[in-house]
Amino acid sequence: MIAIQVSNLSKAYGFYRIFEDLSFDIHPGECFALFGPNGAGKTTLLRILATLQAPSHGQFTIFGQDGVAQKDTVREIIMLIAHGSHLYDELSAAENLQFALGLRGQAPSPPQIKRALDRTGIGAFADLKIRQFSAGMKKRLDFAKTILAQPQLLLLDEPYNALDHDGVAITNQLIQETLDRDGTVFMTTHDRDKATQIATRGGILKGGHLQLLSSEQLTTDAIF
Amino acid sequence: MINRIIRQIQRYKGWFGGGAALCIFLGLYIGLLASPPDYYQGELVRIMYVHVPLAHTSTLAYSVLFFGSIWYLWKRDPLVDNMCQASASICALFTSLALITGSIWAKPTWNTWWTWDPRLVSFTVLLLILGGYIMLRRLVDDPVQGGRYAAILAIVGGIDLPIIKFSVEWWRTLHQPMSFSTRGVSISEDILVPLTLMSIGCWLLFAYMVMVRTQILYLTDLLHAKKGRFLSQTHFSQTTP
Amino acid sequence: MPFFKTIRWVVWKDLISEWRTRETMSSMLFFALIVILVFSFSFSMDQDAARQLIAGIIWVAFTFTGIIGLGKSFTSELQNDCLESLQMCPAPKGAIYLGKVAANFLFMLSVEILLFPLFVLFFNLDVIEAVGTLLIIFFLATLGLSSVGTLFSALTVQIRAREVMLPVLLLPLAVPVMIAAVEATRGALSGDPFSFYSQWIQLLIIFDIIFTVVSFWLFEFILDS
Repeated sequence: MIAIQVSNLSKAYGFYRIFEDLSFDIHPGECFALFGPNGAGKTTLLRILATLQAPSHGQFTIFGQDGVAQKDTVREIIMLIAHGSHLYDELSAAENLQFALGLRGQAPSPPQIKRALDRTGIGAFADLKIRQFSAGMKKRLDFAKTILAQPQLLLLDEPYNALDHDGVAITNQLIQETLDRDGTVFMTTHDRDKATQIATRGGILKGGHLQLLSSEQLTTDAIF
Repeated sequence: MINRIIRQIQRYKGWFGGGAALCIFLGLYIGLLASPPDYYQGELVRIMYVHVPLAHTSTLAYSVLFFGSIWYLWKRDPLVDNMCQASASICALFTSLALITGSIWAKPTWNTWWTWDPRLVSFTVLLLILGGYIMLRRLVDDPVQGGRYAAILAIVGGIDLPIIKFSVEWWRTLHQPMSFSTRGVSISEDILVPLTLMSIGCWLLFAYMVMVRTQILYLTDLLHAKKGRFLSQTHFSQTTP
Repeated sequence: MPFFKTIRWVVWKDLISEWRTRETMSSMLFFALIVILVFSFSFSMDQDAARQLIAGIIWVAFTFTGIIGLGKSFTSELQNDCLESLQMCPAPKGAIYLGKVAANFLFMLSVEILLFPLFVLFFNLDVIEAVGTLLIIFFLATLGLSSVGTLFSALTVQIRAREVMLPVLLLPLAVPVMIAAVEATRGALSGDPFSFYSQWIQLLIIFDIIFTVVSFWLFEFILDS
């Protein structure tokens, strides 16, 4: 089954057309990196795939489920890690995980939560309120969430933004784990160097159209 | 590629406009000049020829807005959204005029500009809801999201308005035992003819105004869509040397 | 069932966050106190006048205080983009709506119960027999305000001028609740027999049922495009 199948997807925001007639397929086990200049619509496309916005025209399916008509079913199997951390300041790390997974209909046990927090290096802060977390720690908490949720499709919006070296390593490690269990990863990014370490395919969104890249082309400077 | 309905509006709107003008002209002539004054109210009853049709039309306009909003949430047709937007502003106009003419009638009759008459209060709340609707549309940047939110407001308002009317009526029977009623006018045959003419005229006028405004809104949206540029293209061409 | 679990999670999250900061409730209580003081200065009242006006003053205070709580209900979700995580919840959005209504209802009712003794104190009210009825009135009217208020709080949170738009949109629609609550409260405080004002209680019940159901259906269209 194809992980993401996009046909003739278009999005217009008010009077401005952002992109038009995008069509592409992504298969399970792939890591797709979407590049493009600022304002090209990368985040918009990602948010449409995350079912947060509806396309203006065209359709897409995620593992066979229509992204607009069967939104709720799609939401069970995807996870979005975006700019906002989706964390509540007054709750502790463990409580935030319980809430986030509770919303998804999952109920991890406390030992499972502890294990996930340990794996991302913040096990000691399980009961600390998010108000006192640094940005890097919040990112790691996002990944702990992914480890517990085990989504079939992981959507990442500029994951390498403002990350230090350790953060980048953890990000790529997490992506690799997702790919290893036959999950799929779709990310938007500016950072060609870091992304090409892990991406298997790529594309450039520019001028409202998508140019697909193969894995060899990803490492060639000339394309960018 | 202009919508089929817009083409039909273009073709038939003249008939509605003409019919409205005819009915209103005749209605006003008979009502204001040719018909006899009322036995009880004298010349004052002539305001009723304007006030009552305006009030009816305002209710009609809100019904259009209400059902149009349900239809829009169901089918998401942008033309229906344009029609809702048009209906709302025109309903606000008719409601304001109804309130003003009602107030003008009330002053000489009851010696007060304002009274807690259930219909007057209901119409005022209706005007407030419409005001909120118009403000809401202005404050949302994405027109599709704005249309959706406005439809939600119109639907909740439509269900609420009968309840508001009941509650104000009950309240008034408690607090003003000497009830005045705007139904004080007894309907005689002389009154019926101009009243009917004015009512039909106002309905036709409403239909005409909604058609024209919907057409304008639709064509404006179409024009903007055709003029639209790709965001990235504009931006990109500005950043490359 | 995921539907009811979601409701439970939303209520739990709102209650725990509030318990730890007490931010919303304290601002509501403080605001209400100021409103009560302003009213008691503005109307120099004797006993008879007080009894006429007090029901209205109570509900004006409760309504404006309630709007503060309703506004915070969804603006608190704007931090860290938490609104997105609610949007991406696979359960029907009506579950989130019910959870938020429950939390808002509990906050508003708690503030009302805490404030009412102050009204009794400042305005010398005689309420011993009427307490049970008053509680019923508070319960029903607060539910009515919460049901429509939560819908419009979610609607206005993503638009410009949200703090102004929530009362502008909500108050005209809440007119039946206001009228019914004031009349019923006045009847209860004056010691009138229940049958005199039971119609208002009926109106509140009908309003609550209709608008909880309608808002439940419409909430879907607010979070989802």
